[in-house]
Amino acid sequence: MRIFVSGLRKLVGRPASFVSVGLLVGLLGLIIIASATVAQRSESPNAGARALALVTFPGAYDLILSFMLGFGGLVAVIYGAAIAGSEWGWGTLKNAVARGESRTRYVLGTFAAIVVMVAAGLALTFVLGVGIALVGASLAGVSTAGLTDADTLARLPALAARGWFSVVEQAALGFAIATLARSQLAGIGAGIAFYFGEGFASIFLPDIIKYMPFSVARAAVDTGATGGGIGGGGLTQALAPDTALLLVAAWLVGSLVVAVGFTERAEITG
Amino acid sequence: MTSPGTLAVATRGLRKSYGSRLALDGLDLSVPSGVVYGFLGPNGAGKTTTMRLLTGLLHPDAGSIELLGQPFRRGDRRRLFEVGALVESPSFYPYLSGRQNLRALAAAGASVSAGRIDELLELVGLRERAKDKVSGYSLGMKQRLGIAGALLSDPKLLLLDEPANGLDPAGIVAMRETLRRLAAAGKTVFVSSHLLAEVQVLADVIGIIAAGRLVREGSLEALLTDQGVVRVRVGREQADATRAALDGIAPEIAVAGGGVEVWLTVHVEPSRAAEVNRRLAEAGIYASGLEAGTDLEPLFLELTGGGASAEGTMQGIAR
Repeated sequence: MRIFVSGLRKLVGRPASFVSVGLLVGLLGLIIIASATVAQRSESPNAGARALALVTFPGAYDLILSFMLGFGGLVAVIYGAAIAGSEWGWGTLKNAVARGESRTRYVLGTFAAIVVMVAAGLALTFVLGVGIALVGASLAGVSTAGLTDADTLARLPALAARGWFSVVEQAALGFAIATLARSQLAGIGAGIAFYFGEGFASIFLPDIIKYMPFSVARAAVDTGATGGGIGGGGLTQALAPDTALLLVAAWLVGSLVVAVGFTERAEITG
Repeated sequence: MTSPGTLAVATRGLRKSYGSRLALDGLDLSVPSGVVYGFLGPNGAGKTTTMRLLTGLLHPDAGSIELLGQPFRRGDRRRLFEVGALVESPSFYPYLSGRQNLRALAAAGASVSAGRIDELLELVGLRERAKDKVSGYSLGMKQRLGIAGALLSDPKLLLLDEPANGLDPAGIVAMRETLRRLAAAGKTVFVSSHLLAEVQVLADVIGIIAAGRLVREGSLEALLTDQGVVRVRVGREQADATRAALDGIAPEIAVAGGGVEVWLTVHVEPSRAAEVNRRLAEAGIYASGLEAGTDLEPLFLELTGGGASAEGTMQGIAR
């Protein structure tokens, strides 16, 4: 518990936490405001209608969630890799081990703090995203009556929970990759490469790639609006959401087992 | 040799390789409790590897380690609850303050009593800068914070790797006093260093390691008994006459220095400095400098095979 609380304190003050949420909110805001502007000024009726749909509730919820769970997955990979990699690079893991701390407990406590930070980051992005979408709706001159659409609001909690779980799985992958690399930069680089590599590989090996970590994360939150996500994967025949969710859990556990196993056996020389 | 029951650190046949490179080749250390132990060795001799093994960061290929009288094997991490360590350069979260870093460190391992962090910040002279981010600290400040981190759990055994690194003269004196005080309180302080002068004024017992093996271990006093020297500074043109005047007083007289004046190092008991001075006066030679004392350096260089660099060091002293 002490490691978890300490890990949370460390992450709350960490620039990477603010940058990650700032990046998500900033890009989401740009998309929404751009959509609102297109909706208002476009001379093409089709383009205008499509843009308008993006800033009109309850449809705007789908845009926000789609972005959060798509691009958010990539940000989570980077975030997880940054946290794990810095423990090796900065030598702070060495400090804890030399004080007699359990390596397993340290890794799991640190990751548990990431899980909470991911939840907080997604919640903040969602709230700010809805606020920006309201501004966008106002700019586009559309009604915001759909904001309280009962059907949409009813499915939001379950979708948010699935989304959080999927993003956590992607953070775990980044965490495990950076642990194996023992480096922040190498971990981030490899995490990004895997993310986009999986999307690219789905063109050639769709039947295999659909079981891969980023594909199952997307499939688990299949809202019908998330599409292929930022990392691609649109060509992959997605798994059923519940099956995908089980695989998300398997990848999450597998990533943590790798991170813990490697750290337990590692010779810490940095 | 101290009996095994009173040893704070004991290693027997410790071996460690990195791939094909042998870092430790059967290291046998015996560190008595309640002393400052100076662990000396040239670069690459295996000092840091030893520190890593003693703190569980590495695991030995062969041999055994005992910490505070108990075996320390893989899985015995709780043994480190009574050990404080600063291994290599101090490591911190750059975006956190000094106090926050110590708090983060205190969350790992043994529990830390309330108020201990402020007490240690005061001790290492960082109280005023405790709220500043570590990224803005100088090397010396990071080093002091590292020493505070090593003392967090009020350890019985303190393992410090080059603790004087980056400290200013006042900081070195303060650190030395702190370490002496800890030893006086019954704690064992194990200091790894290549600063011979620092170890000579700090340590009670020293161990010298070379090429992964312990080449000498014992009380500093005993080791220095045979290391007495008297140094004489004279004009270059008087060097030969001085050597002749001192002929027979010592088996070897070394001359070093390339300037107007040279230093002659006479390997005799420091108590014979007056005799050296008398002989020079009788020969009509008036030295511009005369020093007497003991020196760990010749012993260190001899044991570690640093003869080639010994001359350079002596010349450095002469300058």
